[in-house]
Amino acid sequence: MIKIEKLSKQYGQIQALKSVNVTFEKGKVYGIIGENGAGKTTLFRCIAGLEKYDGQVTSDFKNLKNHLGFLMTEPFFFSKITGTEYLRLLGNARNIKTLNIQENNVFDLPLSQYASTYSTGMKKKLALTAILLQGNACFILDEPFNGVDIESNILIVEIIRTLKALGKTVLIASHIFSTLAETCDEIHLLEKGELIKTVVKEDFEKLEHEMRDVTIGNRIEKLNIT
Amino acid sequence: MKGYFLLQFKMLNRSLTAFGFPPLLAYILLPVCFVGLSGYLFSKTEFAEYIFLLLAFALLSKQTGRKRNEFLKSCFTRTDYIKLRLLENFVLMLPFAMYLIFAKAAIFVIPLVVIAIVFVFITNNTTIQFTIPTPFYKKPFEFSVGFRNTFFFFPIAYILTYIAVSEGNFNLGLFSIILVFLVAMSYYSKLENEYYIWSYSLSSNLFLIEKIKTALGYITVLVLPILITLSIYFTTELTTLFTFLLIAYAYLITVILAKYTVYPNEMNIPQGILIAISLLFPPILIGIIPYFFFQSKKRLTKLLP
Repeated sequence: MIKIEKLSKQYGQIQALKSVNVTFEKGKVYGIIGENGAGKTTLFRCIAGLEKYDGQVTSDFKNLKNHLGFLMTEPFFFSKITGTEYLRLLGNARNIKTLNIQENNVFDLPLSQYASTYSTGMKKKLALTAILLQGNACFILDEPFNGVDIESNILIVEIIRTLKALGKTVLIASHIFSTLAETCDEIHLLEKGELIKTVVKEDFEKLEHEMRDVTIGNRIEKLNIT
Repeated sequence: MKGYFLLQFKMLNRSLTAFGFPPLLAYILLPVCFVGLSGYLFSKTEFAEYIFLLLAFALLSKQTGRKRNEFLKSCFTRTDYIKLRLLENFVLMLPFAMYLIFAKAAIFVIPLVVIAIVFVFITNNTTIQFTIPTPFYKKPFEFSVGFRNTFFFFPIAYILTYIAVSEGNFNLGLFSIILVFLVAMSYYSKLENEYYIWSYSLSSNLFLIEKIKTALGYITVLVLPILITLSIYFTTELTTLFTFLLIAYAYLITVILAKYTVYPNEMNIPQGILIAISLLFPPILIGIIPYFFFQSKKRLTKLLP
């Protein structure tokens, strides 16, 4: 469980998060949506302890970060590190002694090649594999479906379902609503740093329609496409 | 093209300022340091010209990055691109060429010019699928990545050891150890992304110890052939050899720790000054290492509580 109370974050004059209160339970999958700059990544970075903040983030663990797998929007890779070495590095970081890397290569990645030469989707899959092998209890997946091929997309959805079944807490930010609808128990709508709405599974369809109406509005007409 | 070089000049000034150096002071000090260090190198070894070539080669090869060159090619016409790269390479090799002429080793300017021209047409294609094997794959990343970037230095160091033995030149043997250590120290010159620190389920204390342990273990692997060779052939110099090695280990630890003393910022003037003082007076390392350790620990606590 991760409990967030009155979480605020300011970058200079910009208020990135405004008194966010939310609880993420074990064995549930939560979607965080919002337009670009709404504060999703900042929220994740605060939970991970990568940013200083006002308010509180508490969990079942003394030190949440040691049980948290964080898939970043754009994972960083050194220029000459192979896929295998990347997995080993993140395994070592969590003191995982035995890694059966080849067997765990569920995305069939070319692990002997330098990770920096991978495509965007392959990098995402490698980073995801790494945090899965760490055996974390909580997961933050920032845009896990970005640039990922359709087969891997299906696999990632199944992985998220498995994590949920195993009692893990999973937070996902994604701009692809269908994948969120497929995997999440709740979706939180973040707008200008504030959590303005929480929607349960039964109302996902309604939320999608609402978002579509608000987002599209009469913008297409304005384009005067002929 | 003029705009490009002006922009480079501005970027250089910004980097110097960010490093804590007023650009004007840097433009005065850098040539002085270059001449001073070159003089020292040429006075200490007869292989200085080759080391000079190697340094110039390393500097020029830095300009051959694929992304950088693809970007330049997309901005300029083919002719302008070639002119620009030629000019860039000649500016970089100029100090080396001038010193070689000054040191009456003008013949070495020829390979330098050849390298400068050839490198205009070479792009370091990092997308090639060949992976350079590394003996340091078990504990990434500094040594595994670093080894792949600098593997060619090690045969050079081993050849220098061979020459040291065949010529009976113990100092050259020590120089080969310095070379290996300097190369290893360069692995710690770049700051890693915070994610690679954050991921560790270790306290900042243990994280630093782990980094030092790995570095000492791996550098020993690299320096061992030199050490064994020198121990066998220079039995009367064993005390000097092992004292020297101990100091080299201490410097490596200092460099590792210095990287984290101001993390997430780059190493700055105060750390540079302390390291410079330690070069003049190595016993000061006894104080610098614990100081850097404490500072690094403090800096990393945010990511490793």
